[in-house]
Amino acid sequence: MTHALTDAWRHRVFYLFALPFAALTIVFGLWPIVLSVQVSMTQSATALRPDPVWVGFANYARVLADPLFVASLGRTLLYTVLAVAANLAFALAFATLLDSTVLRRFNMVFRLAVFLPVVTPDVAGFVVWRWLYDRSFGAVNAALAAVGVPPFGGIASPDTVMWAILVAEMWNHSGFYIVIFLANLAIRDKALEEAAAIDGASAWQRWRHVILPQLRPALVINGVYALIQFLKTFTVVVVMTKGGPSGSTNFVSYYAYQMFDQGRYGEATAMATILFAVVIVISVTAYRLGERGDHR
Amino acid sequence: MARIRDALIGALAIGALSAGTPAAAQQLTVWHDLGDTGIAWFQRMSDEFAKTKPGVTVRSLSFPTDQWFGRVIGAINTGSPPDLIFNNYERVIRIQAQTGKVMDLKPVLDRIADKGFLGEDDLRVATYDGKMIILPVQRVQMAMGVRQSWLDKTGETFPQTWEDVRRIAAKFRDSDPDGNGRADTFGMALQAAKPRDLIHMLDLFTFGSGLRNTLIDPQGNITIDRPEHAEVLEEFLKTYTSYRFLPPDTINHSFNEMYQVIDGGRAGIFRVGDWNVRRWDDPKTLNGDFVSGPWPSFRGRPNSVVIGGMRGVGIPDNSPNKALAVEFATFMLGKAAQQASLEVMGAAVRKDLEVGTLSPRSQWFAKAEHRLVAYDFPESVHTWYPELEAAFHRKLLEGITSPPADWKPFIAQTAAEMRAMAQRLRGG
Repeated sequence: MTHALTDAWRHRVFYLFALPFAALTIVFGLWPIVLSVQVSMTQSATALRPDPVWVGFANYARVLADPLFVASLGRTLLYTVLAVAANLAFALAFATLLDSTVLRRFNMVFRLAVFLPVVTPDVAGFVVWRWLYDRSFGAVNAALAAVGVPPFGGIASPDTVMWAILVAEMWNHSGFYIVIFLANLAIRDKALEEAAAIDGASAWQRWRHVILPQLRPALVINGVYALIQFLKTFTVVVVMTKGGPSGSTNFVSYYAYQMFDQGRYGEATAMATILFAVVIVISVTAYRLGERGDHR
Repeated sequence: MARIRDALIGALAIGALSAGTPAAAQQLTVWHDLGDTGIAWFQRMSDEFAKTKPGVTVRSLSFPTDQWFGRVIGAINTGSPPDLIFNNYERVIRIQAQTGKVMDLKPVLDRIADKGFLGEDDLRVATYDGKMIILPVQRVQMAMGVRQSWLDKTGETFPQTWEDVRRIAAKFRDSDPDGNGRADTFGMALQAAKPRDLIHMLDLFTFGSGLRNTLIDPQGNITIDRPEHAEVLEEFLKTYTSYRFLPPDTINHSFNEMYQVIDGGRAGIFRVGDWNVRRWDDPKTLNGDFVSGPWPSFRGRPNSVVIGGMRGVGIPDNSPNKALAVEFATFMLGKAAQQASLEVMGAAVRKDLEVGTLSPRSQWFAKAEHRLVAYDFPESVHTWYPELEAAFHRKLLEGITSPPADWKPFIAQTAAEMRAMAQRLRGG
C-alpha cells in the first residue's frame, strides 16, 4: 500500500495531467452507459421520470422472447462474420499489392483513392451507393446489362441485400484497415524474406509463412475494430434499406433505434445493453485469442 | 397627519404606476413536426389570437417526427412539457400510451357551441381509450391523383373503376406518356420500405373501395379472408408485384423516395393528400398537372376519398399554462384559425371557409363535396390492435418481397395466423 502511494506520488505529474481526461471519460463515456443500463431496468412509460417504476430484468426477458429480436441478433452476427472476413481479406490483399513493386507507379494515387471514402461522410457515400444499385436507373445494372449479365437484385431483394450493403460498407471502411496493414508492412523485417528467398521459398510461401505472421498486430487491431464496427452497423441501414426488404437488414442497432423511436425506452436500452455485452465479449475474446497466439 | 397624507400619496403613485404598466406578457409553446410551413401557420394564428388576448404570444417549435416523439414523451415524463402538442392522432395516441398524461378534451369540446362541422368519424378518431386526446383541427384526406397530361396523351379519362386503373397504369408504363423516347415511366407510385409504410396504401385500397375495415371488424373478427376483402387485398398485393406498375425498387421506398418518383414525373397514378397539393402545384414539381378524385370502385361498391387520419391539438395534463392552452386549442377550431390552416397548411375541418384564393386542386379538397370514409380506427376499441396490425404488415411485406404463385392461399394462411394472434393478444 505504502509502496503504491509512493509510486503514485512519484508519478504525480502524470496523474495530474491524466486526471481531466479520466474525468471526461467517466462523465461522457461510462456514465451514459450506466444510465442506459439503468433505463433498461425501468418501465418504458416511466423511464424518464425522476421516480421510474423498476421492473428488474423484465425488459430483457421481453426482448429475448421477441422472435424479431432473436432473428435480428442472428442476422447481425452473420453480417458481422461476413463483413469482417470480407473487409480484412480485401484490405490485406490490397495492402500487399500497394506494398509490392506491382503498383510502384501511381502508388500514392492508389493510397489516396482507397483512403478517400474513409473521410467521406457516411451518409453521402451510402446515398450514392443507393443510386448505383437502383434497378430503374442505377449504374450497376446498366453495366451488367451492357455485358449481357442478368440484373442484380441489389438492395431490393432479400437474397442480395446483405451483399449489396457489405460492398458499400467495404468501400467506406476498408481504407482504414489498409492503412493499418500498410503501417505494419512498413516495419516488418525484410531480411527474413531475403533469407527465405535464398532458401528457395516461393513468393506465396514467403507471404504465407514469413510476411503474414509478422502482420499479426495489424490483424488483431483490425479484427477487433472491425468486429466492433460491424456488430454496431447502423448508418448504412438507415440510409439504404431501413431494415428491409422485409426485415432482411433489421440489425440490432436499427431495431433498438426503432423501439426508441416508439418511446419504448426500456426495451430499446435492453437491446442496446445486450448488444453492448455481445460486442464486449466478442471483442475481448478476439483480442485475447490474437494475443495468445503471439509468440514473438 | 402628514405621515398619513404621504402614505396615501405614495400608495396612489404606486397604483398609478402599476395601472400604466402593461400586463405581463404570456407565451404559449406548441411542439409539432410541420416544419417551416407549420411555424408560419402558428405565427399567423398567434397574431389572430393576440387580438382577443393582448400580450399573449404563441411560439411553435418544429421537430423531425421521430425526435418529436422522444422530446414530447421525455418532457411530459420529466415535468417540463410544452403547453400544447400538435400532430396526427395516431402519434398522440403513442404519447398517451407512453405517458398517460394527455388531457381529456371532451369537456372542452362540450363547451364549444360552434362544432357542427365535426362529424362522427372526426370525433371517433380523436378518442382513445375513452379519452378525447386531441381536438380535431385538420382532416387528413387522401385521394387518387393522376397526371392530366398523361391521361390526355393516352386518350383516357380519370379512372372510375379498378379495371380502369389497371388499363391506364399499363398504358402509362408502356406508351411513353412523357414523350422523352425512353421507357422510364411507371403506372403508379406507392411505398413499402417498412411494414408501417403499407398502412396508408392499404387504407386507400380498403376504405377507398367501399370496405369498412382493413383487418378486423368492431367485434375483433378478422375480415381479410371474406370474399370482398380478399379480392381487394389480392389486387393490392398484385399491384406491388405481378402487375409491374411500380418502380422495381418500391420495396426500398419510404415517403421520401415515393415523393421523388412523383415529383420527378415518373409515375402517373399516386396517392394525393390534401397536404400534397401545394407541393405539386409548384412549377418545380408537377406544376399542377394532376387531377384528384376518389379511389376507384370495386364491383360497383360506392367509392370514396379516405380520411386517413386527423391532425389535432392535445394538451399535456401537466401543461404549464393549462387554462390558456385550453383557450388557444378552442380558438384553433374558430373560423380565423381554420382559414389560416386551410390557406397555409391546405387542410381544415370547417366547411364554411373562403376557398376562392386556392388552386382548383386545393379547392377540391377544401370543399370536400365527395364521399368521405374514415379509417376504422380499431385501436380506439381494441388496445391490442397495433401489435396485430404490425404483424399483419410484416406478413404482407414478406409476401410482397417473395411473392407466392397464388395469393389466395397466402391470404387464407395470413387470416389464420392473424386469428390465432388476435386470440392470444385478447388473452383467450
